[in-house]
Amino acid sequence: MIHKLVLTCVTLFLVVLFINSMTFQEPRADLTYVNPSDIHTLDPARISWVQDFRVALNIWEGLTTWHPRSTEPIEGAALFPPEISPDARTYRFTLRDDARWSSGEPVTAQDFVRGWRRAMEPGSAGDYAFLFNDHIVGAAEYVRWRHDAIGRLTSLDRGGRPAEAEAFFDEHAVELEARFAQVGARAVNERTLEVTLSGPCPYFLDLVALPVFLPCHPSIELLRERHRGRPLTPAGLVVYDPQWTKPDYRRLGYPGLITNGPYQLRDWKFKRRARLAANPHYRRADTFACRTVEMLVYDNLNAALMAYEAGYVDFLPELSVPYDHELARLSATGLRRDIHQCPVLATYFLNFNCVSETVNGRPNPFVDPRVRRAFSLGLDRETLVKRVRARGDRVARSFVPPETISGYAPPAGLLCDPGEARRLLSEAGFPGGRGLPNIIVLSTQSDERMCQAVARMWENELGVKVELQTKETKTFAEDKARRRFFVARGNWYADYNDPTTFLDCLATGNGNNDSGYSNPEYDDLLRRAEEAADAASRAAVLARAEALIVERDCPILPILHYTEPIAIQPYVTGLSPNARLWFPFRYARIER
Amino acid sequence: MTGRLLRRLLLGIVTIAGVYTLTFVMVISVPGNPLQQSERNMPPEVEQALKARYRMDNNWIYFGQFLKGAVRLDFGPAFTYADWTCNQILMHSLPVSLVIGLLAILIAVGVGVPAGVLGAVYRNSWLDGAVLGVVLLGISLPTFVTGSVLLTVFAVYLRLLPVGGWGTLAHLPLPCVTLALPYAAYIARLTRMSMLDVLGSDFIRTAVAKGLPRRVVIGRHAMKVAFLPVVSFLGPATAQAMTGSFVVEKVFGVPGLGQHFVNAALNRDAGLILSTVLVFSSLLVVFNLVVDLLYAWLDPRMVDAL
Amino acid sequence: MSAHRRAIAGAVFLMSLTGVGMLALPVAMDWHNVQDLESAVRHPPSWTPVMAPGRFLSPRDQSSHKELVWRLAHRPVSWFGHDDLGRSLFYRLVLGFLISLAIGIGSAALAVGIGTSWGAVAAYAGGRTDLILMRIVDVLYGLPYTLVAILLEIALSGPLTVLMGEDSKAAQIVILFLAIGGVSWPTMARVVRGQVLSLRHQPFVEAARALGAGPLHILRRHLLPNLVGTIVVYASLVVPQAILQESFLSFLGIGIQQPLPSLGRLAADGVHAVNTFVSFWWLLVFPCGMLGLTLLALNFIGDGLRDALDPKSSAGLLS
Repeated sequence: MIHKLVLTCVTLFLVVLFINSMTFQEPRADLTYVNPSDIHTLDPARISWVQDFRVALNIWEGLTTWHPRSTEPIEGAALFPPEISPDARTYRFTLRDDARWSSGEPVTAQDFVRGWRRAMEPGSAGDYAFLFNDHIVGAAEYVRWRHDAIGRLTSLDRGGRPAEAEAFFDEHAVELEARFAQVGARAVNERTLEVTLSGPCPYFLDLVALPVFLPCHPSIELLRERHRGRPLTPAGLVVYDPQWTKPDYRRLGYPGLITNGPYQLRDWKFKRRARLAANPHYRRADTFACRTVEMLVYDNLNAALMAYEAGYVDFLPELSVPYDHELARLSATGLRRDIHQCPVLATYFLNFNCVSETVNGRPNPFVDPRVRRAFSLGLDRETLVKRVRARGDRVARSFVPPETISGYAPPAGLLCDPGEARRLLSEAGFPGGRGLPNIIVLSTQSDERMCQAVARMWENELGVKVELQTKETKTFAEDKARRRFFVARGNWYADYNDPTTFLDCLATGNGNNDSGYSNPEYDDLLRRAEEAADAASRAAVLARAEALIVERDCPILPILHYTEPIAIQPYVTGLSPNARLWFPFRYARIER
Repeated sequence: MTGRLLRRLLLGIVTIAGVYTLTFVMVISVPGNPLQQSERNMPPEVEQALKARYRMDNNWIYFGQFLKGAVRLDFGPAFTYADWTCNQILMHSLPVSLVIGLLAILIAVGVGVPAGVLGAVYRNSWLDGAVLGVVLLGISLPTFVTGSVLLTVFAVYLRLLPVGGWGTLAHLPLPCVTLALPYAAYIARLTRMSMLDVLGSDFIRTAVAKGLPRRVVIGRHAMKVAFLPVVSFLGPATAQAMTGSFVVEKVFGVPGLGQHFVNAALNRDAGLILSTVLVFSSLLVVFNLVVDLLYAWLDPRMVDAL
Repeated sequence: MSAHRRAIAGAVFLMSLTGVGMLALPVAMDWHNVQDLESAVRHPPSWTPVMAPGRFLSPRDQSSHKELVWRLAHRPVSWFGHDDLGRSLFYRLVLGFLISLAIGIGSAALAVGIGTSWGAVAAYAGGRTDLILMRIVDVLYGLPYTLVAILLEIALSGPLTVLMGEDSKAAQIVILFLAIGGVSWPTMARVVRGQVLSLRHQPFVEAARALGAGPLHILRRHLLPNLVGTIVVYASLVVPQAILQESFLSFLGIGIQQPLPSLGRLAADGVHAVNTFVSFWWLLVFPCGMLGLTLLALNFIGDGLRDALDPKSSAGLLS
């Protein structure tokens, strides 16, 4: 009797749980694609992952957007091209008449200013917030002023002086608008946005297509945290309820996420799927062939590929499976026409520790550029890229990928020459590799195979002993930041279509300069490029700077330029492989 | 009885508090920065501001604040997934893990117990050998191997079941069976062992001497006692199965709770680690209690041990 | 086959594998990371060696072994095929087997060491000590195994690598069995406590106490010999569990680091070797087969030991 009771209870419980966790099967979307590991964040101020770009730039639209094939900037929510002043420091964007939010209202210039301001604020902690500081006049000063105020408020609060803290808080909040008015981004009227740059920026139109420059609907102000009637938290930060990116969030009268792009976010289930539906107020929305797009989350790319093979998935923008060499081979020989190779504007390289005296108690030989050059010459990049990785990546001899940025030709770089490498090592005082400490090579799990091959090559050619340390991501980041390595793997994906996105990384003091390279000659060349008169001379100066890095001083050792494979079902047209892995879904057509 | 129950509950709460403290200590002593989510280095001012915002600059303030929130069942933001709170993550993943876990345990018991009984009754015959062989296979191969093989065979080659994911009845068999295998193997072994013990005891001898049919003796009398060790194993095992197995979730793409244990640990996401650990230890306490109650009901001699 | 025979078969299997492994160890240490990127990448098994002999040993690899071993080293073995980097799977399996076994036995030893002392002290002291010690065990039980293993591994790898200095290969094995042993001892503690509790009131213990023996003496001379059976039985359960845990950590990517192999790491790498695109069956079959057989053998030995040492297990009337 009791067994039966228990059994019924358990079954009922299971059924209830089951119904709760299952999803009601909606009809299949027009286009289904896979996003491994789910969207990290949809907050445009904080987006930095390519997968998030893909969703955000389909549901929002910035001042410009990217061409689906060439990824050059083309018309977005603003008329293209904008008015540019003769000294190239002032841009005037006029918004299109038919630029509308998914709720029907027109997009205004104030919406853009609101979005830019959110991204600039310290509380957003966005990876791309530095773009404002670098380019928009007055932004760096505004951000510094805010940082100082926040620091002061925090210390007053911690020091137990609440009355003083409150007084300073009020004073600071009152000054907020006046200070922001000095930043070079202002709405002249409802449809005109005027941007003043701190210096000429030839790639500015490319930049404003990035998610960090997206507009923000006014309804977000309903979710701003307030303290004593001021739109700031007690610590002085500008914070919005992070749930504002959900389409069904209704707290405090918030209408849910409102966007201005070709699609709107209909539904987002954590770690399962997100559904986009065509934005009825977007121009020519009724001509979209794909009215609904579904993003499936598959943590395991192998399973995702199998689902693609079985026909459940129409489009796979990521194919990093362990046997991707086989996929590359099938694509290269034409046996699988649905697998495409996208040559991406990104480089994988090794950082040499150029600055520490000792590492883990051992003397650092890499402060000597001859040693760095020797190690660069002693590596057979061809074999590494063609045999070990075998994914169709391009061998890299320069930092900036060649034939990608129009008007810029990177230097030729170094070729593999073990004899010269050994000679250089002896010249530097380490003949035959003797006297060199065990070289610590820091890597992460995703490229340990490559690093094992690299280690082996150096051991064979140069006679050194290499100690490979593979750490998981967070420990790796920490060790890299503390410079506890001789050699560490690194990669860089271009933020915008200009060589400086790569070359700035090695400037003295740059936050992403992991090698610690510091050369006044190099910094000087970069400065001169900024002040160059025309595009040709600018490109020449930048090429000279790059030659310093890849041919003479070698603080980094470029190994390959990424080529990402993607899979598009044969019945899907309109999506083309490109350097940014940018796929605007409104051009896709399904012919099943 | 109620007094003892209350005492167990109290002890359980003390245990959970201890678990919370220990996990907290481990989390703050492990190197790594939870706020940095990509490989780019975060500017130091930004890091400072964020730490101040989440009260993470002082560990003991964070300890108290999180505890206060946890008591109100508000576990705070998750850094691993910036747009979601820990509560939302738990609410979405826990039911999935519970379903898979419970089903897996049911399958494990349903397969393991008869297998063990058969093995004990027909000891040393070919049936025993076969059962033992299959059963030992369950604990001799890691779950990612069995899971991947099952996925490849049934979903990829035979196209009988969907390739991972979650949402329909068809998504259930493969992950539940994979998860059930090691538990089934262990339960079969345990049942066989304890059945063999019981079959040699006095009261069974009496029952046989009384002339009761074999089926009744095994089914009713022997089972009740032989099942006890299985019950005590089931307590922690159910809690463990229910909080998801990372491997099963990774191989089959199931949005359960197990992956959050691992991802949170690898991301040093204190809030998510602490909330998942609290959920796990609460489930454990509850299931241990249930197990003890079952024990008392099955074997009245054990009531004093409560 | 009776349990007894199975246990013997398992023991024989393991002994012979270990023997072969130890003999081949010097060669395996030299060859486990020799990569032939030209001709041996993902090469299927073959009787004749695929790698060109001799060329791949760098000056530092040439260790001073006897002539026979040296000649053997010049004939790389391709019987189990080659992996992604052209390394011979045979040598990697040999080394992997030994490393996995070392981790298993190390973890079991640690778990036994801590668990036995903890449980025995708790049970013998009784009263408040018992309460506190067992509450701590309860708290440790309340932690998810996975999480603790990961956090322990991450926490220990920093200081231990520094401590063990230059040769970080041994450090990894030590870190792993510390992490795995560190989460396995609570079960041992509980079991030992149960046993000691029941032994504590036995007449021989009372007699010893009456004769004036101190608690340490009683623990060592009288209780421990009676615990040996239980300890051995549970230790034999911990070894295969530890090897499985290590394979799980390798699947996550934080177990034994490359280029050192372990059975778990090789199995985790081989899982994706067979699907509709590729079929490198040797990368899946050999490591998983070896892992499965090893664990099976260990389980058989455990069963046999239990049958032999556990006094309660007996033949039944109804069988």
